[in-house]
Amino acid sequence: MLQITNLHAEVDGKPILKGLTLTVNAGEVHAIMGPNGAGKSTLGYVLGGRPGYEVTGGTVTFAGQDLLDLPPHERAAAGLFLGFQYPVEIPGVSNVQFLRESLNSQRRARDEAPLSGAEFLKLARAQAGALEMDAEMLKRPVNVGFSGGEKKRNEMVQMGILNPKFAVLDETDSGLDIDALRIVGDGINRIMRAPDKAVLLITHYQRLLDYVKPDFVHVLADGRITRTGGPELAHELEAQGYAQVAA
Amino acid sequence: MSLKLRAMRRWLPKRMDTLTLPSARDEAWRWSDMATLEAAREIKRVAGHVGSTARIGDGPRLVFIDGYYDPDFSEPGDLTLERVEFTSTHPLGQFAAGQGYELRFPPASFTAPIEIEHVVVGEESHLPLRFVLDDDAVVSVVETYSGGGWSNRLSEFSLGKGARLMRAVRLLQDEGFVSIRDEASIGEAASYVATFLGAGGMGSRIDGFLRLDGVGAFAEMGGALLTRGEQKQEAAVAVHHAAIEGTSRQVWRAVAADASTASLAARAEVARHAQKTDGEQSLRGLLLKRTATINLKPELEIFADDVKCAHGATVGELDAKALFYMQSRGIPEPQAKALLTHAFVADALDRIGEESVRDAFKADADAWLEAAL
Ligand SMILES: Nc1ncnc2c1ncn2[C@@H]1O[C@H](COP(=O)(O)OP(=O)(O)OP(=O)(O)O)[C@@H](O)[C@H]1O
Ligand SMILES: [Mg+2]
Repeated sequence: MLQITNLHAEVDGKPILKGLTLTVNAGEVHAIMGPNGAGKSTLGYVLGGRPGYEVTGGTVTFAGQDLLDLPPHERAAAGLFLGFQYPVEIPGVSNVQFLRESLNSQRRARDEAPLSGAEFLKLARAQAGALEMDAEMLKRPVNVGFSGGEKKRNEMVQMGILNPKFAVLDETDSGLDIDALRIVGDGINRIMRAPDKAVLLITHYQRLLDYVKPDFVHVLADGRITRTGGPELAHELEAQGYAQVAA
Repeated sequence: MSLKLRAMRRWLPKRMDTLTLPSARDEAWRWSDMATLEAAREIKRVAGHVGSTARIGDGPRLVFIDGYYDPDFSEPGDLTLERVEFTSTHPLGQFAAGQGYELRFPPASFTAPIEIEHVVVGEESHLPLRFVLDDDAVVSVVETYSGGGWSNRLSEFSLGKGARLMRAVRLLQDEGFVSIRDEASIGEAASYVATFLGAGGMGSRIDGFLRLDGVGAFAEMGGALLTRGEQKQEAAVAVHHAAIEGTSRQVWRAVAADASTASLAARAEVARHAQKTDGEQSLRGLLLKRTATINLKPELEIFADDVKCAHGATVGELDAKALFYMQSRGIPEPQAKALLTHAFVADALDRIGEESVRDAFKADADAWLEAAL
């Protein structure tokens, strides 16, 4: 589904990704762990096409097409979803307005009929309900005044509504309380665990992986994948730290 | 619908030839685009059909063509327009001095929203209008400027005790210039609220002076100016607190694209005896391109000591993080920019109380955004 080959990228002229190679097949969940500043979020942004994150080498193929050739909104329409480490606040734009515009833009790009206001609201309420988010929050401006945990939960409500093929979830677990972690974990499984979908979970902790069982665990350090293993690698890292395991 | 215009040339009073336009050397007019105003006077008058804006409600409708009331296209209902004389010393207002119209609203009367349409098809037209609201009268007005040429309006508002006037004014001329001079006297516990939207292709000067004359009066003048191309629009307004316990609000938003210029100058004056004044002034600009210009000039002139006056003035650009966030969800860049800009402008347009009017104005702003982004 996703092939990243020898990817190099820089921000403000500073090389961050230095030859990253990774393949994710449909039906798989991959976890990426790694020290602060290693380039994990950068990888997510590069996949999403954020301006300022300049690809200087390598290729990324997504569902058979050159991902790097597409503008950000077309990547989304092709089925890519980026769960942000720091979800952005948008004053004056309600969640409902934002998400309906998002979904219908994607649908138009795929030559599907846009959803009516009523159809969309029904879908949005169902997804908010499944993630135990108060439907009232859908009316509020996007992420404005949301707590850290509420923002992360809102990311998952968005994912549920947009129903992507491939999700990069950047520290979606950080900021969540114990109950929310379970709800979000269940949500990821419900929305993304399917034979034609795949997930890249960026995380620092084992606890999310207790709910969303990864097929592969990778260590990203200094802009490269330095080690790959099964779920046991996450336990090993938690016990011994990056210095020991991935050096 | 469209209006059919008679190809009749109306002669302007001779004395106007002796009046001179304000100069950019005058501080109060340094951002004004008098060149566009001069050019607007030369736009050839065209006879024939002129597009007219859709009606918002089913209240009275007053149509002014080239500055003259047109009974054929108007549906005044119970309203009567009385002919009265106007004088003015205002640099642009003086051009409109002479014969004009007065609308009177009796005590405790309530009038369905009045739609006033200004259709100008070239050259210059001048219209003086006076609104007199007796005690406790409630009036709502929607005004639309369309066409081309120079459209010059002088307005006087007089609000009796407890009267309420809600005005929403949209400048939608394709070309030319719209100048507006408003003067209001607001009585005890009366409320005057005016919201402007400049979303056409013309140059503009929105000029106002609101006096809070009665105890506990409320005055609000604000809106949004949207400029693109080489266009210049400007609002230069002042509220004057002449009595105690008055409240004033000046919420203005400017959005400038391309190489355009939007300018906002707002002043709040508080007289020495006008204690317990509550004033708020918020001027914000959004540059859609670095080649555009936004000028903001907030001014407070406070002579009383027991006064609460908040003010802020900032110019910024669209939030790049928010733009990427929206694009990453599938929204193409122009639509993402339009959503953010719409939200920015909404601060000002949300002050329009009547929902149908607010929606119509937001639709005009959205149409502008779609064309500009
Ligand atoms: N605009 C920038 N200019 C210079 N360096 C930058 C810029 N943005 C990010 N970086 C650097 O890129 C490196 C990678 O950052 P990134 O956010 O990808 O790390 P991360 O692995 O996600 O870390 P964390 O676990 O703390 O979230 C960091 O050293 C960061 O300081
Ligand atoms: Mg990170």
